Amino acid sequence: MNITKRIVQNYIGKTIFNNETRRISIFPILNVKEIHEVQEGNQLIIYGQEKASPREPYLLKNNQTEKCPVCASGLNIKHTDVLILSQFVRLDGCMLPRRITGLCGKQQKRISTLVSMAQKAGLMPNLTPAWSKKDPKKRIV
Amino acid sequence: MSALKRVQQWATFARIWHIYDATWQNPFKSAEVVKKFLMGLYKPIYHPLNDCGDHVIIINSGEIALPGDEWKKRVYFHHTGYPGGASWTLAWELHTKDPTMILKKAIYNSMDGNLQRRHTMQRLHIFPDANVPKSLLDNVSNQIRQLRPVPTRLDRYTAEEVASYPKLIDYPKDYIIR
Repeated sequence: MNITKRIVQNYIGKTIFNNETRRISIFPILNVKEIHEVQEGNQLIIYGQEKASPREPYLLKNNQTEKCPVCASGLNIKHTDVLILSQFVRLDGCMLPRRITGLCGKQQKRISTLVSMAQKAGLMPNLTPAWSKKDPKKRIV
Repeated sequence: MSALKRVQQWATFARIWHIYDATWQNPFKSAEVVKKFLMGLYKPIYHPLNDCGDHVIIINSGEIALPGDEWKKRVYFHHTGYPGGASWTLAWELHTKDPTMILKKAIYNSMDGNLQRRHTMQRLHIFPDANVPKSLLDNVSNQIRQLRPVPTRLDRYTAEEVASYPKLIDYPKDYIIR
């Protein structure tokens, strides 16, 4: 009984939970940048399209690779610098996580504070979460 | 008296009209600036007994910016004189009732309490928005510089300006644009 149990555990465990045999990794290998959904009649076509990043030509060069991009730039970013802060925000107005921005913990915290300050001041009304009150004057204190 | 000296004499004693845009400005620091022009403190001929103050038009007083949590914490006290007649009004309550009041009180309180103060305040014209009567606007010959620049909103930039602004970070290779 014990032997059969062990065999079953080994066999099933290896086939289901072993990552080496299960080669499912969707996005990095397919290199998908943008997902399009096209409705043709009663047929829905979903396809991924590889896109070059629109930021590529305007990217600042980071010479100090041991530092995060904001630390290396040496900029004193304020909540009024909306052209910089909007780079760290998703299209729905939420802050991007640290694994995507690649900032150090200190700067990630600082930038996310500045983003919420700018949004509360009504400086980014087109890049603000839908639930937030975009006009600071309409916010009851 | 030559023609030049005569005109110089007129210009010296004429009342000048200044305009000040209060958008995004701290009313208490602005009061110190506006006070100088209202009382004529910047003039070489200034003397407390010399009536040489100027007129100041303040526009957009509804757009002032209070520092920190002053909207919630600053309290304006009033007493009717009768027993139980005291009232305390928060800054945001006063501002919703009258958008010119905070700035007016800030300027009034920045000046010394003497007999001239009420007359000096008569030369101050505050408007909650940019709608100023043309009869007043025709007199204006000087603009007072703002204490801090008014920041531009993101939707006021063109899409091309936003896209071509230098970028600090790029999306990772596996990022899905949403």
